[in-house]
Amino acid sequence: MTVAAGLGYALIALGPAFSLFAGVVARKPFLVLTLLSSTLFWLISLIVLSGIWRGFLPIKSGTWWAYAILIITSVALQEGTRLVFWRLYKKMEEMLDAFADRISKPRLSLTDKMLISLAGGLGHGVAHAVFFCLSLLTPAFGRATFYVERCSKMPFFLASALIALGFLVIHTFSMIIAFNAYDEKKKCDQIVVPVVHLAAAVMTLVNLAPGGCLIGTPLLLVMAALTLQYCWRVACRRLTEHQHRQLNNN
Amino acid sequence: MADAAATVSGDPRGRPTVLDSLGEDITRIVYPVSACMLLVVLLVSLLSSPSAPSPLAVSIAAATGGGGGSGGGDDIPTALVTALTFVVAVTAATFLLALLFYLRCTPCLRAYLGFSALSVLLVLGGQVALLLLSRLRLPLDAVSFALLLPNAAGALALAALAPASVPIALHQAALVAIAVLTAFWFTLLPEWTTWALLVAMAIYDLAAVLLPGGPLRVLLQLAIERNEEIPALVYEARPVDPRHGRNWRLWREGRQPGADLDVSSTTVEVIGEVFGRNLDSNSGNSSSPQVHGVATSAGDANNSRPRATLAAALSSADSTIAQAEEVPVLREHRVAVAEMSVPLIQPRPERSGEEEEDEDGIGLSSSGAIKLGLGDFIFYSVLVGRAAMYDYMTVYACYLAIIAGLGITLLLLAFFRTALPALPVSITLGVVFYVLTRTLLEEFVVQCSTNLLMF
Repeated sequence: MTVAAGLGYALIALGPAFSLFAGVVARKPFLVLTLLSSTLFWLISLIVLSGIWRGFLPIKSGTWWAYAILIITSVALQEGTRLVFWRLYKKMEEMLDAFADRISKPRLSLTDKMLISLAGGLGHGVAHAVFFCLSLLTPAFGRATFYVERCSKMPFFLASALIALGFLVIHTFSMIIAFNAYDEKKKCDQIVVPVVHLAAAVMTLVNLAPGGCLIGTPLLLVMAALTLQYCWRVACRRLTEHQHRQLNNN
Repeated sequence: MADAAATVSGDPRGRPTVLDSLGEDITRIVYPVSACMLLVVLLVSLLSSPSAPSPLAVSIAAATGGGGGSGGGDDIPTALVTALTFVVAVTAATFLLALLFYLRCTPCLRAYLGFSALSVLLVLGGQVALLLLSRLRLPLDAVSFALLLPNAAGALALAALAPASVPIALHQAALVAIAVLTAFWFTLLPEWTTWALLVAMAIYDLAAVLLPGGPLRVLLQLAIERNEEIPALVYEARPVDPRHGRNWRLWREGRQPGADLDVSSTTVEVIGEVFGRNLDSNSGNSSSPQVHGVATSAGDANNSRPRATLAAALSSADSTIAQAEEVPVLREHRVAVAEMSVPLIQPRPERSGEEEEDEDGIGLSSSGAIKLGLGDFIFYSVLVGRAAMYDYMTVYACYLAIIAGLGITLLLLAFFRTALPALPVSITLGVVFYVLTRTLLEEFVVQCSTNLLMF
């Protein structure tokens, strides 16, 4: 496709991530480092996953259940990675708090912790978008564009960019929900995050059916919007509770 | 109380927390490294034909009717021989530099440095410019080109060599330009040779810095003894300054001048402290010497500090010769770009006259910034550039691996507090990730995403 179209697709997939980066993450260097390390984590989990599945590829196109197993294992592994990331983050938080005490500065505030989880989620989302969408985009500059048989109404790259956008939003904001849930030990939120991830991933199975991408992609974006809204509610609630507690203490 | 509320609502009027400027020194070295890698990847994608294009690229090229690039035939034995020759040449050159430094021939070293910087910019820069002009079909006549190139090369060489006389941004840009050009030239080597070279340089770096007889170690010890600075091409990140730190933010009001100095402690020191090494020597207020307020004394300290971080320069690579088969040519010409891939930084800055805290500092420069040798820039970019010749997925993976390696090296630095080589960890991780991506990841991701299955 032409450079202009390619740039457009890349911006569809990564535009919100870029503005989040420039507006929030780039202001605090620590968040940039968090983003890079969470991207690395996601990449490592993806490599492990592909190592496990390498023997079974290529999957024959008729067997959709093989894809289902693939997706379920992938989501399970990534949720496991999220837990590992959480543990590392806890250690880092302790170190930072100890350091802050030593130099008699205030400890990490609630917004700081939420910012760190935002940067972590953004790292996951950016890694996803880069590896699944962007890496296919750039070799394809040139004449003509691509359509996949099963999705003949939309250019392939457009569908891929929209799905990447949906997943970026889901990854970013579900990380905030997840960290919040682990922190407050709320079981229901802790369950919600993997369920949302799994649901979104399973929804992409719809794309295997002919013409399925016309249904699957909008549904995915709806899921992303739902995740965003849920995260908004969680964050608002937490912040107002915290504020009330502060006011009550003082 | 108002503070707490303000902190909770997270607006910038609240008291700044630890998070605000922590890690700034690391990002200040990550950004230039990333910029260098990005430029090399852009140059490679514009100018080179891939030696072994990935299946995806081939299928796309076939579909659009374009022809694919042909793979050059080079084999492993030649590659190993070439790499070995290169390492031997670099070792010899570093010993020569150490000898010159020992004999106090500083003018020799400076002249050598200037000559090599200028020749890289002139010859390699000219070659790259010509390639770009022909590829992008830019209209520029020969006379203008002949006028512009030497001037630009001279200006950039001057900026690279005399940091005190040019704005720091120009100095850093000139260093990055030199690194980009050299790295691009290295990527023109055949594939196996490049990989063998990278691995060999990583091993050499490890040996030269850590083994007792290694040339770089010798050079560093000489420099420390004499309390002199080795003339070298070194990238120094801008000093972290709490007051003028982030250029895109307005100066905050109400910030007491003294109170925020401590937050500006470098991340490396933080890590060192956290690992408990600083407990005895730290006296609570770990304000580091990198405050711009003491700029004048820092300026003096700059001249006298034992900046023994890097071995010297680029050599005059006669760079128009790019054929790896001509080993005798290599012996003469291909030298010592890699001499600069030297320990990251040197701990223990000399206590200058100013009364600062007994830092037990990580030996950053007296302004607290991290210094990284230009050779490290070059070899990181060579790895990423070579990955770009295969496919972009390997580029992303190798980029992340290299940045992770850099981070690990900094952690090790905080832990061990000695001069450390910056190449081995990053190159190892880069190569491992390249291999893993190329064999495992690509197939998997292409299979999933061409079916529009994502997770």
